[in-house]
Amino acid sequence: MSVLTLRGAPPERLDLNGITPLALSLLSEAEAARLPVGTSRRGLTLGDCFAIRLDGSADLVIEGGHERLDRVGGGLSEGTIRVEGDVGQRLGEAMAGGELTVSGSAGPFAATAATGGRITIKGDAGEAAGGAIYAAKAGLDGATLVIEGEAGERLGDRMRRGLILANRAGRLTGARMIAGTIAALSVGDHPGYGMRRGTLLLGAHGTLTPTFVETGHHDLVYLRLLARSLSRLSPAHAELARRPLKRYSGDLATLAKGEIWAAA
Amino acid sequence: MAAWVKGQEVGLDAAVSAAAALLSSARAPIVAGLNAELSAVRAAFRLAAETGASVDTLGSEGTYAELGALSRGGAMTTTPAETIGRADTVLAVGAAARSAPLIDALRASRPSRGVAAGAERTLLTLDTAGDPAVAVATLRAYAKGHLAGEHPSADIARALFAARFGVILYDPAELGEFGIEMLQALGRDLNESTRVFTLSLGSGSQDRAVVPLSAWTTGQAPRVGFGRGLPEHDPWRFDAARLAASGEADAALWLASLPCERPGWLGRLRTVALLGEGAAAPDVAEIVIAVAVPGEGVGGTLWDEGRAAIAYRPAAGTSALPAAAGVIEAIRRGLASKEAA
Repeated sequence: MSVLTLRGAPPERLDLNGITPLALSLLSEAEAARLPVGTSRRGLTLGDCFAIRLDGSADLVIEGGHERLDRVGGGLSEGTIRVEGDVGQRLGEAMAGGELTVSGSAGPFAATAATGGRITIKGDAGEAAGGAIYAAKAGLDGATLVIEGEAGERLGDRMRRGLILANRAGRLTGARMIAGTIAALSVGDHPGYGMRRGTLLLGAHGTLTPTFVETGHHDLVYLRLLARSLSRLSPAHAELARRPLKRYSGDLATLAKGEIWAAA
Repeated sequence: MAAWVKGQEVGLDAAVSAAAALLSSARAPIVAGLNAELSAVRAAFRLAAETGASVDTLGSEGTYAELGALSRGGAMTTTPAETIGRADTVLAVGAAARSAPLIDALRASRPSRGVAAGAERTLLTLDTAGDPAVAVATLRAYAKGHLAGEHPSADIARALFAARFGVILYDPAELGEFGIEMLQALGRDLNESTRVFTLSLGSGSQDRAVVPLSAWTTGQAPRVGFGRGLPEHDPWRFDAARLAASGEADAALWLASLPCERPGWLGRLRTVALLGEGAAAPDVAEIVIAVAVPGEGVGGTLWDEGRAAIAYRPAAGTSALPAAAGVIEAIRRGLASKEAA
């Protein structure tokens, strides 16, 4: 198990994109220490900010997180990364595989453009977790994102495929969704605003927009399969899928092929 | 001449030297405001590139709401002058649009050219009580025929489809990115059978001129950072208010040769403030340099709201104060000597 230990609070935002077990396995500790991670003119390197211990394994631990650590796990394709602490924006950006776990909270845009693997945030997530960054075509794009705490606004904004689980989430959950599935035990107002396709499974929710219409109660095989799939990740979400649910269709302002399943 | 360092009046050279020292020693400076003539904004970008600073502009909340929607699906836009000259149907979305001065001009005239010349002009308003983006979505659902029945939005949708030259007026900061994206999509739906454009109200600052300048200078929209040498675009990371609040920024240059509201962080962050005549005061920031106001004491290229274009505005009078561009260039030249020292 390779270990990066944060020496102290970073004096500037650090960009850890590409710092993965696979990338580090090809480098000596001295070479890894020279990797640029700073975002100012000071040219900070990995060795300036972290004590580095590498063993070439597929598991990497980052001890001592901080909200200024951006793009942690960015580009991860195999192996595991575990962060003991908080992280900044774009956790696991464009991740394609492997497993990424954060014991603390994450900044905005966690798991943006992630196409594979699993990202778990034990604490809270900032705005637009699983959402698209500025001008990007899509947010989450095939990966699985589990937020055990509270997600901010715009959870899964413009996500294209994949699965997001959250305990609680803010307003505009699933906004502008292209496709995919989001399950949350409670969300704020206007879930699914502008969604084209996709599925929202919600416990409690705030105000629905008038552009979602109720289409009744249904007992579908799909819901039982969804519950079985969710039970591997979260029994509470699986239980939600087994409860009596009302189905809403929308967003009628767009393609209207999306659906909200809400606890009856 | 009016310049102050830590509240004490000094000569321009001393203020410029202090500004160069402050910015050259900073780890993560920000260059913000940019509510000024384009020559000064251009100089500010050069200064940012040399100091590794990040850039943000006044009014960028609305700017990015517009740009986000534009990047997603494009936009059908027109200008205030075209709206007055050609529009037979105008829909005001939101409180700011309903009370815009343009509405009075539209009420007092009728289209004089184009397909609707001589026609009566219909002014409509969309009730946006609550979330304006939701009101726009509801209107679009009626326009698409996905919602049916008697509803004010159904009447508005019918009126827009019947327009020969329709214009939808809105305030980008009020409507937000989601609402604007929905509005532009509504515009696309309407343009399948008629002719409808959108017109966003300006913020009153120079952000619309800064956007193209930033694009031709960096290839990006205004929120760019030069910390790693090349311009990086990141609207979240380089939000000046966030940088100041989080403590990531340790110095700032605030450029506002035109009158505008000042941010709350100006007094808290070590700042060089270039302020137009009348707005400059010793206690506004650590270093304050008064500069000539474009269009008053000095000529300058500015955003023309009516024409929706960048245009030169000649000086109405004279000023003893220097132009902002010259001051910023002097600070930039001073950086080299500070860094060599």
